[in-house]
Amino acid sequence: MLKENPVLRIENITKRYGQKEVLKGASLLVNQGDMKILIGPSGGGKSTFLQCINFLVTPDNGRILLDGKEVNHNSKRELYAYRQKVGMIFQDFNLFDHLTAFGNVQIGLMRVKGMGKEESGERAVSELTRVGLKDHMKKYPAQLSGGQKQRVSIARALAMDPEVMLLDEPTSALDPELITEVLAVIKDLGQNGMTMIMATHQIGFASSWANEMVFMENGVILEAGPPEKILSQADCPRTREFCSSLADLYGDSR
Amino acid sequence: MEELVFIYQDVMPSLLKGLLVSIRLIIPSALFGLMFGVIIGALRVYGNSPVQKIVNAYVAFFRGFPLVVQLFIWYFGLPHLGIYLSPFLASVIGFSLCSSAYHSEYVRGAFLSIKKGQMSAAEALGFTKIKMIGYIMLPQAFRLALPGCGNEIIYLIKYSSLAYMITCIELTGQGKIIASETFKYTEIFFIVGLVYLFLTSIATWVLHHLENRLRLPGFEHYR
Repeated sequence: MLKENPVLRIENITKRYGQKEVLKGASLLVNQGDMKILIGPSGGGKSTFLQCINFLVTPDNGRILLDGKEVNHNSKRELYAYRQKVGMIFQDFNLFDHLTAFGNVQIGLMRVKGMGKEESGERAVSELTRVGLKDHMKKYPAQLSGGQKQRVSIARALAMDPEVMLLDEPTSALDPELITEVLAVIKDLGQNGMTMIMATHQIGFASSWANEMVFMENGVILEAGPPEKILSQADCPRTREFCSSLADLYGDSR
Repeated sequence: MEELVFIYQDVMPSLLKGLLVSIRLIIPSALFGLMFGVIIGALRVYGNSPVQKIVNAYVAFFRGFPLVVQLFIWYFGLPHLGIYLSPFLASVIGFSLCSSAYHSEYVRGAFLSIKKGQMSAAEALGFTKIKMIGYIMLPQAFRLALPGCGNEIIYLIKYSSLAYMITCIELTGQGKIIASETFKYTEIFFIVGLVYLFLTSIATWVLHHLENRLRLPGFEHYR
């Protein structure tokens, strides 16, 4: 089939913290340009799953293949190279507090990619311009609003030229007004063909832009499918229950 | 009047000589102490478990032995192993190592107080561990550790007076020599004390300015 062009193939990831099994064999196939939305209750394993994908959390079992090649996370070199190709956006931004917005974007280019000061500087400016923060480059994280911080963190990840972006509830720590500006940037990315996996509760956004929604609970992917199906006529009763409560809460899921 | 002439002609030149020795002891000891302290502090947080055990033992040893005893070991003990250090060198080594043990504790605390997200973000960008520590964690930790490390440097200025115990005649040593020649213990040691107060005041001033220089927006309240 023509559609089979998986950028990222995630197979049977398991993770256990002591007695608690956080992930019980989660798999996902991500094609070029996909936007996958992970939904599910808190503590359901969404965040751990995303962190396992770029090995911030080491999975106990399972494989991850990028462009058809298995990632050997025991090789430091391979791991560092892989992480550059998989950008990550965090719920609480995690900007480097001692650097300006500009410095936050530049440092990865200089210290990881080994670019020169000038070249990395130009790139940092262009990425910050892309997320609409050209005028705030010299500000430190503490001087930026939540939405601006999240946009800086998106610029920082984009500067590394990732093939896939992982977004772990990028808008959950934001005021409603600021959510819009961040979602606009993410939407823009998607339209430009960026491959993304995003955990979010913004189902209004998800229903308009996602290729596939994935419902996750208790460390298992219960159901996956196109948003129209998952949101209104899911097969699994638990998915239906969860989606209807989201719809009650946000009221914009059609 | 006689008193002033005596101070001017006899006391001041010797004390000045001693002061210069003190400064030559303090500056390298402070720099090496801080440098080793940062390295050891980082190893205590980010080293693997055998490395952590070694550096923890180092800190236990140099914080646990009285400094005078350490100086005696460097100066009187090492010759038994065929290693001869000058009083000056023995003092600088003793001060640097002892100071580094204390610095490492401030630095360790600073590293531990940085939010974990900073590390995750650096890892996610593909930073190697060493670069992450050097470029992301250390610049933040250093700022947090600075008040504590400054305290240790001021303390070092005063314990540099122990060098005279191993015949490195610095400020206190000179003071003791003149005092025992003239029996004017009170006056002379009062002056010596004032000179140390002067040195610690300068150090305080420099450290204060360094803290201001390095201060980041949003972290003002940590001071």
